[in-house]
Amino acid sequence: MNADDHIMLARLIAALPPAPRGWVGAAQELPVARRGIDGIVARAVADAAYRERVVADLESALADAGIEPTPPLLDELRERFRSI
Amino acid sequence: MAAVQGSDAQLVARCRRGEAAAWDELVERFSRYVFAICTQGFRFAQHDAEDVFQDVFTRVYAHLDRLRDDEAFRPWLAQLTRRACIDKLRANGREAPVEELEPSELDETLSMLDEALTIHEAMAALPENCRDILDRFFAQDESYRTIGDALGLPAGTIASRISRCLDKLKSLMEETDADARLEAG
Repeated sequence: MNADDHIMLARLIAALPPAPRGWVGAAQELPVARRGIDGIVARAVADAAYRERVVADLESALADAGIEPTPPLLDELRERFRSI
Repeated sequence: MAAVQGSDAQLVARCRRGEAAAWDELVERFSRYVFAICTQGFRFAQHDAEDVFQDVFTRVYAHLDRLRDDEAFRPWLAQLTRRACIDKLRANGREAPVEELEPSELDETLSMLDEALTIHEAMAALPENCRDILDRFFAQDESYRTIGDALGLPAGTIASRISRCLDKLKSLMEETDADARLEAG
């Protein structure tokens, strides 16, 4: 095996550094977050006062449910509330 | 760096069946690829890259059922990431046709990242110490001393180990190529 092969392999290995651990962890939590959003929506359907509080502050609603309020999850919750 | 177990298609099928461990594995397996498309392909800064990264995996989770061919997961993911990056550029106020928003050398970068992912998947077949040492040195940019301390090896032996591990990886790639040629007839 020559030096060029080493350089080519090294370059390709280096091209994929790890994503930050926190990002990976948040993405892995998506199924749990989805279930949490389902719970928020179900409660909001049944409880008008709770629904108003959630609409007023989506971030807190997610955080209170133990879900990190990332922009995609906030968008999803907003979207779900539009159809209630 | 975790060992890759099973093909992409098998992993996608397990995700569809609702196996929590499979979703964790899918994110782990493709997180570097999505991260690299955001930061190298589109040159997003960390903050925007993080938004796109989460957006991509949210879309994957939501739309995995729409994937018609599990074998095509990787190109589907690349395309989905590309679209999410364009959406982010537009959300940041860039108004232009897609071809003007995408960096000029994007196709070459994506092709290189695709090749890099293939190499990383091939590394899964290496002994764990080889996989670890190559990933730490090249992908995580760790020094000989840091690697030596982490793996309990004399720092002076790291360079030769790296060289031997690259030889093993090259042999593996050649075997895989030969097998693929045989299977193709």
